[in-house]
Amino acid sequence: MLGFGGEREAVSKVGLTAADLAAARRREPAAVTRVYTAYAPALFRFFMAAVSDRHLAEDLTGTAFVSAIESLPRFRGPVEALGGWLFQIARHDLYDHRRKQSRSRIEPLEENLNEATLADGGVDPEEVAIERVEGSRVMEALRELSPDQREVLLLRMAGGLTAPEVAEILGKTTGAVKALQHRGLASLARVLGLRSPQETQGPPYPSSDSGRLTSQEEEEP
Amino acid sequence: MRTPRPRPNKLHDELDALLDGRPVELTDELAPLAEAADALRAELATLQLDPEVANRHLERVLQNSGTVVQMPVRRQPNGWDVRRRAVAVALAAALVLVPATMASAAALPGQAMYPFKRAIEQVRIASVQWSPSREAGERTRVANTRLDEVRTLTRLKMFNQLPGAIAALERAVVAARVAVADAASQGEPVPAVAATLDRLKVEGGQAVMRVMVEVKAAGGPVLISQETYRAIQAAAAASQDVLPPPDPTAAQPTPGEATPTPTAKEPSPPADPTASETPSQPSQSSQPSESPQTTEPPPPQTTEPPPPQTTETTAPGPTTTEPAVTSGSLDTDVGQPAPEGRELFEQTAPPTTPPSP
Repeated sequence: MLGFGGEREAVSKVGLTAADLAAARRREPAAVTRVYTAYAPALFRFFMAAVSDRHLAEDLTGTAFVSAIESLPRFRGPVEALGGWLFQIARHDLYDHRRKQSRSRIEPLEENLNEATLADGGVDPEEVAIERVEGSRVMEALRELSPDQREVLLLRMAGGLTAPEVAEILGKTTGAVKALQHRGLASLARVLGLRSPQETQGPPYPSSDSGRLTSQEEEEP
Repeated sequence: MRTPRPRPNKLHDELDALLDGRPVELTDELAPLAEAADALRAELATLQLDPEVANRHLERVLQNSGTVVQMPVRRQPNGWDVRRRAVAVALAAALVLVPATMASAAALPGQAMYPFKRAIEQVRIASVQWSPSREAGERTRVANTRLDEVRTLTRLKMFNQLPGAIAALERAVVAARVAVADAASQGEPVPAVAATLDRLKVEGGQAVMRVMVEVKAAGGPVLISQETYRAIQAAAAASQDVLPPPDPTAAQPTPGEATPTPTAKEPSPPADPTASETPSQPSQSSQPSESPQTTEPPPPQTTEPPPPQTTETTAPGPTTTEPAVTSGSLDTDVGQPAPEGRELFEQTAPPTTPPSP
C-alpha cells in the first residue's frame, strides 16, 4: 500500500535521540551530521517543490539548516518535535525569499535555461530542460492549487509531517488541515486527469475539531 | 446497490490515515486521491539533494561551529543570585524612599510631599496588618500624626487646610478605634494603645476647639473666607462624636489659653492607660471656680489664675464674641444663626456661668 511519511520513518531509522539533539546543540560534528542526514533531504524537497529551482532550493536548504543549528540551543521541545520546528524555520525562510523576490522580479524562463545549462554537467541542457518540463507535470498541477492546499501537501508529503504537526505550523486545526489535503489531492487528481472523486462543493460541514470553525470556512480566504 | 457516500469528515480521516500509511479500505472516493498522492510522492522522490551540496552544507555548519559563539542560554538563578538581586532592589528602594520619607515626614496638607507621606503611612499599615495589635498601634500613631497636623495648621493659621485636616483626624481616630477593638476581639488586647487612643480623642477635641478659637481670633468670617469658615465649622461639628469637646464642667478654657500655645510635639503616650487621661484634663482646668464641679481636684499647679495680659493679647477681634467661644458655643457669633446640626459642644456652659473675662 502507500507508504507516506517516509522522512519520519527515516528519522526513526537514523535513531535521532535526545542525546543526539543535545550533542547537536553543542555542534558536535557527528550529531550535526545525523540531524542533517535525517532532515536535509526533506527540506530540500520542500524548497524544490516550492520554488522549482534547484540551486535556489539548495541554498535555501543550507541556509535553513545553518540557522536551525545555530538556533538549536533555543529549541526546548522533545526530539520528536524537531521536525516540525525545522519546517517552521524553513517556511519562514521561504516567505523571506518570496518577499525579496517580489521586490526584484526575475524572469522565470531565463532562470530555467540557466538551471538547465548548469544541471548535470555533460548532459545536454535541452534534454534536461525537456525532461524537467515533463517531470514537473505534477509540479505544474501542484501550482494550480490554492496556496494553503499546496503548503499542506508539501509539508505533509515532502516534509513527512503528520496532520497535527502541519496544523501546528500553520496555526490551523487538524480538521482544517485534513480538509485542505483532501481538497488539494482532489484538485491534483482532476488536473492530472485521474478519475475525479466528485468532490462535493456543498455547504460547510462540521470540522472534526469541535468548537472550531468548519474546515471549509477556514479554508476560505 | 450503491453504497452511501461517506461523510466528509470520515473521508478526511480515512485519507489522512492513508497518507500516514495506516491500513484503510480503498473506496471509490479514496482511490483517485490515493493515485494523486502517489504521483506527487513519486515526483517528490525524484528530487534528491546532491551529495556534494550536502557536504558543503555540513562544512558550512561545522565551520561556523568554530567561530560562532554558542547562543546564550538563560541561566537559572541560584540562591545567591536571588539574594543579591533582592539586596540590590532593597538598596535602591532605600536610596529613594528613605530621603523621601524623611522629607515628607513634616509635610502638611496642601504641600507637595504630603501625598507621599500619606502613602508611606499606608505602606506601614499594610506591612503590619498580619498582627492586629501592631496594626492598632500603627493606626493610633497615624491618628497622632493627624492631630499634630491639625495643631500645626492651627498654629500656622493655614485655615483653608483645616477642614480636611479635622476630617482626616476624625477618620484616623475611628480607624484606630476599630483596629484596637479588632485586636481585643482577636485575643490581642492592647491596653497601652487603647489608653493612647483615649488620650488622642480628648486632645483631638481640644485641638478642634482651639481651631475654632483661632478662627475667631483671626476675625472669623470677616478675615477668613466665608466658605473656609463654614467648612471649618462643619468639620468641627461633624467630628464631635469622635472627638468630644472638652467638658466645660471639668475644664474651662480661658481666653488666655485660647492663645495659640506652642504646639510642641507630645511625648510618646504612656503605657499606663489610667495615666493617659489625667494630664490632659487638668491642663485645661485653669479656673479654680470650676473645680468643685469636677470629680477630682485639680492639681496645684493649675490652680493659678491665668495671667491677665494673655487675655488681652488673645482678643484681637471683636471682644464681644470671645465669651461665647470660651463657653463652648462656637456657632453663636457673627450674628448668624448656626446651621442645623452644626452646633458645637452641646454641653455648653450653663447660663449661670459667667464669661471668663
